[in-house]
Amino acid sequence: MKRLAAFFVAASLPLAATAAPESYTIDPLHTYPQFEVDHLGYSKMRGRFDGTSGKFTIDRQAKTASLELSVPTKTVTTGDEARGPRPRSRDEHLRTPDFLNAAEFPAMTYKATKVSFKGEDPALIEGQLTLLGVTKPVPLKVENWKCGPDPRTKGQKQMCGANATGSIKLTDFGIKFGVPVFIGDELKLWIELEAYKD
Amino acid sequence: MSDFLGHPAVQGGVAPFLAALVCAAVLQYARLGGLAILAGFATVALFLNGFTFSPLTATRKLILLGLAAPALGVLADFVLRDERWIRIVLALLCGAVAPWAFLAVLEQKSAAMGLAYGAGLLAFVAALVALTAQLRADGVRAGAAGLALGLGSGVCAVLAASAVYGLYGIGLGAAAGGFLLVQMVRGKPIAAGWTFTCPAALIAGLIGAGSLMLAALPWYSLPAMLLVPIAARIPAPLSAVWLRAIAVSLYAFVAAAVPAALAWYASRGPDG
Repeated sequence: MKRLAAFFVAASLPLAATAAPESYTIDPLHTYPQFEVDHLGYSKMRGRFDGTSGKFTIDRQAKTASLELSVPTKTVTTGDEARGPRPRSRDEHLRTPDFLNAAEFPAMTYKATKVSFKGEDPALIEGQLTLLGVTKPVPLKVENWKCGPDPRTKGQKQMCGANATGSIKLTDFGIKFGVPVFIGDELKLWIELEAYKD
Repeated sequence: MSDFLGHPAVQGGVAPFLAALVCAAVLQYARLGGLAILAGFATVALFLNGFTFSPLTATRKLILLGLAAPALGVLADFVLRDERWIRIVLALLCGAVAPWAFLAVLEQKSAAMGLAYGAGLLAFVAALVALTAQLRADGVRAGAAGLALGLGSGVCAVLAASAVYGLYGIGLGAAAGGFLLVQMVRGKPIAAGWTFTCPAALIAGLIGAGSLMLAALPWYSLPAMLLVPIAARIPAPLSAVWLRAIAVSLYAFVAAAVPAALAWYASRGPDG
């Protein structure tokens, strides 16, 4: 009887292993929140943040997941870093209290509160974005979710990747300078995201 | 109408100027004409931030302190005795709020750097308030100093890359301009007192401090701002109030150009 019980315990171990939540660490070199905002009503200006860090967990069988991201606000770039003859560049301006106030609020964070699945893959992340000390719900639609072996390591490392999209209103977070005369209130977000299994 | 009210020139110039002008004209007879600075600053704050203070950011602390300072000024003018130690305490009190306003930024620095910056901000704001308050008996000199401090701190903020702080400074200058214009038209000085000088110097000092802590103003622009109230004390032997106002304003503008020039020089890029 004891042998039979031991057999069932041993046989169930691999199943338990696959059902356990998997934990991943964000790859800052392949995770870039990018944004687009209307400029003067003429064009859509784009920019991005570098150095994003964070964690996520996923349990495909239980269809639960968690996600936490931290984005250093001082890394914002719109392709205009050099001052030239001007007093300050646009990227420097974006870091001041007019916009991101990077000295006082060095990071913006995103924390998922609920993740909806389509099949085995996350499809919609409901979460809270904290920017400039203000926390607001921001849903992110997940596309191209894929998990598998990293081909560069011949399958020794497991990774996941996805693209997420959403939008925020700048004024919801207290950014009022130039809105809506110079820049639009709506800011669209694209997040390319890759992470390695812990 | 919303486009008109949304224009930076209206928010930081026309509106605070008119609010201060009306306030100075109406309240001058009650020796409260100095509250013009409150009317002007409250107007620009209403446009740029509204009267919401949560979360209590450094900028909102600046607004809160700017709105509260006139109360301290009225208290000093009408209740407290005009003694030397009271003047020192008031200036130090104003200086002490500067590190509190920028505490979130100071906390991110090393202990030594945080203490050095905090002490520097305290000393700068206290000195600016003390020097500006010495002009409190002369509404023309106080108004001219407020005008140059506001515009000077605003230009410094713009050069340090913050247009919002620039508008707060220019709005402060516009308010002082309204206070000064009433005196020029009336031909008689209005009592400035602590009611005017305390908020004018505190707000200008905090705008300078904010441009240093949150944007890219070089630190040496701040002590250069102290030249403004000193320049406003230079004798102007003119009998007509409007002529004296112009002369003292010119002195103060020349002094205010020094920190702005330093900020401009520091902001030049390698191609500039």
